Amino acid sequence: MKRKLLSLMLVGTMAASMVACGSSADTTDNASKDAADGAATEAVQSDDENTLTVYAWDENFNIPALKAAEKDYQDVNPDFKLEIITQSQSSDVEQAVTLAAEAGDYSTLPDIVLFQDHYFQQYVTNYPDAWQDASDADCDWNGLGAEKLSYSTIDGKHYGFPVDAGTAIFAYRTDLLEQAGYTIDDVTGITWDEFDKIGKDVQAKTGKYLLCMDGSGNDLFYMMLQEEGVSQFKDGKPYIKDNETLVKVFEVVAQLAKDNVLYLANDWSDYTDQAIQGDMVAGVFNGNWIIPTMKQVSENSGKWEIVPAPTLTGKPGYASNGGSSLYITANCKKADLAKDFLAYTFGGRSADDGQSTTYDEALLNGGVIGTCAAAAESDVYQQGVDFFNGQPIYADIVEYTQNVATVEQSDYHYQARTHLGTALQNVLDNGYTTEQALEEAESNLKFDMGL
Amino acid sequence: MTLAKKQLAAGWLFLTPATILIFIMSFYPIVQAFITSFKSGKGVNIKFADPLTYNYQRMLQDVIFKTSMKNTFLYLIVEVPVMLILAILLAQLLNNKDLKFKGIFRTCIFLPCATSLVSYSLIFKSMFATQGLINTVLQNIGITHENINFLGTASTARAIIIIALIWRWTGYNMVFYLAGLQNIEYSVYEAAKIDGANGWKTFWYITVPLLKPTIVMTAIMSINGTLQLFDESVNLTSGGPANSTITMSHYIYNQAFGQGVGNLGYTSAMSFIVFIMVAILAFINLKVGDTRD
Repeated sequence: MKRKLLSLMLVGTMAASMVACGSSADTTDNASKDAADGAATEAVQSDDENTLTVYAWDENFNIPALKAAEKDYQDVNPDFKLEIITQSQSSDVEQAVTLAAEAGDYSTLPDIVLFQDHYFQQYVTNYPDAWQDASDADCDWNGLGAEKLSYSTIDGKHYGFPVDAGTAIFAYRTDLLEQAGYTIDDVTGITWDEFDKIGKDVQAKTGKYLLCMDGSGNDLFYMMLQEEGVSQFKDGKPYIKDNETLVKVFEVVAQLAKDNVLYLANDWSDYTDQAIQGDMVAGVFNGNWIIPTMKQVSENSGKWEIVPAPTLTGKPGYASNGGSSLYITANCKKADLAKDFLAYTFGGRSADDGQSTTYDEALLNGGVIGTCAAAAESDVYQQGVDFFNGQPIYADIVEYTQNVATVEQSDYHYQARTHLGTALQNVLDNGYTTEQALEEAESNLKFDMGL
Repeated sequence: MTLAKKQLAAGWLFLTPATILIFIMSFYPIVQAFITSFKSGKGVNIKFADPLTYNYQRMLQDVIFKTSMKNTFLYLIVEVPVMLILAILLAQLLNNKDLKFKGIFRTCIFLPCATSLVSYSLIFKSMFATQGLINTVLQNIGITHENINFLGTASTARAIIIIALIWRWTGYNMVFYLAGLQNIEYSVYEAAKIDGANGWKTFWYITVPLLKPTIVMTAIMSINGTLQLFDESVNLTSGGPANSTITMSHYIYNQAFGQGVGNLGYTSAMSFIVFIMVAILAFINLKVGDTRD
């Protein structure tokens, strides 16, 4: 009997390992396919003097943008090659830098990394040696969007070249609004209280939520505060429980959730896969990088339109969330080439004639909307988009970008986000009052900051 | 050299590579981590804290670390006994001489252990999703009328983690008990039967005492495993909602790699506290279970 059990276990193990081998064989296949495309290789550095390596993470978004930049720069340097090394998610890039810096060995890094804006400042504070100053690159820094550059400029030094603007859009399903008796004009330039009322009608008539957000990584607070020109930080300290605007915003969000106007997803994949792609919502409010996710639901094409977001006072709201930039790492030995490449492409030098292959193709192939003012003049940016009922959303978003207020940034952006998200859950599920919840959020944030 | 000395030398020679590797790969990092646990600051700004025990004092004020500790102990207290009792009962059932298709049943119960921690977490996550299988089934058979957000509510999220753990690990422990049961002579049971002991009595007065060493071992392994619980918390619930399911290891990971630059001194200090907890619990367990004469 024992032997039978043993043999069964062995068969089980073998079957399991065969499954494992099968899947790993798949990955190698993919990898070799990618390598054939010239996209992915094992090495993080190239010996060829005209080849640069870069880390990026989204096949549908920023990688097409980088391919466009490679093509663009080949106009001036025909031998140029960009090796894009695909990472599975943005945090992989951050961890690669953390590991390299903690190990004191930058040789594991590629020449250039794509890096999330909100993370960059703390990485410069903590690992100043990991980056190269790019201030002397030949491009017009003033044309790249002041709010955007405020993330990548530290002590007056420019480190990063902007890829995508994080400018927020508020998209509504016009057909669902109509069913509830509203038009797109009824949701333009409204207050959050009016939004709540419309949201309740939409929920009653159509069963859809007018707003959704990832509950554990809740970006609503940051965006709604930026619309009002306020930050969660003041003079480098948390500014939460005494921040009247924040308290109001917090109460609005809690009310929206209680009224079933706001759907709080459990996590990011729940937000993208179930809430947005599962067609549970009539409204989406986030950085414009969310558009490719929305477009996955092709049967809703033509039913969406975007407008500025509601605010506390009813003035049009403009915010920004996320977005990323390209940075040159300490390991780049071809710094001049890297600077010239980035300045020509994402720095906007190729857009001098009003037409930038980089920005145009990044938009066409990846939906990446840049912050470069010169590039936004092109025809590609002015075209109407079928998915959004023919609205020229790219031009609109570039216009929104100009109105986004610059607010105080902090190394502790994501900690603040987590603690405020927790505070909201505490109010909704655990019977906290707003004051208690925000008090706890502030003290936890102070604790994280060592204050 | 005498033969004994030669043998001794050969023994050391064979031991040396492994010993050196353990020292370099395991002990040296442990010592380094211990030193790091007295440092504070991030990145290049890391330096010895003032006072040296700063990180250890900080832990006492860390609300979220305390929450994570409470959660971990909740899992421990609920899950380990339930799982071990289930495992022992299943082992007892499957050890029945007259049972047919034993092999198939055993394999079925052991099979969850062949799945990776991440995959089974993800499967549970999709099953218990707001629009997932469980919600659909519950509604179709008329038990509930609207979708329940299992993973978004603190109490149900904790329950699901415990259910998932039981599913994953019961079969694993059952195999140890089965092996233990094979070593109990059938004649002992026969004798008990003749003396008029019923099923429960044989189980309680014969099986359990004779299985004691196995029970102690599985208990230590389960406690150790539960205190270091990580995959389920990360993949099933991401520690949420509002940190109500976060485990100690998950919190340590979050502080080190979760949100940008890690606070490595503080996380090393927390890891040492977890290490001490495991050591204490294992020690108590050994003392309680030790019945050697």
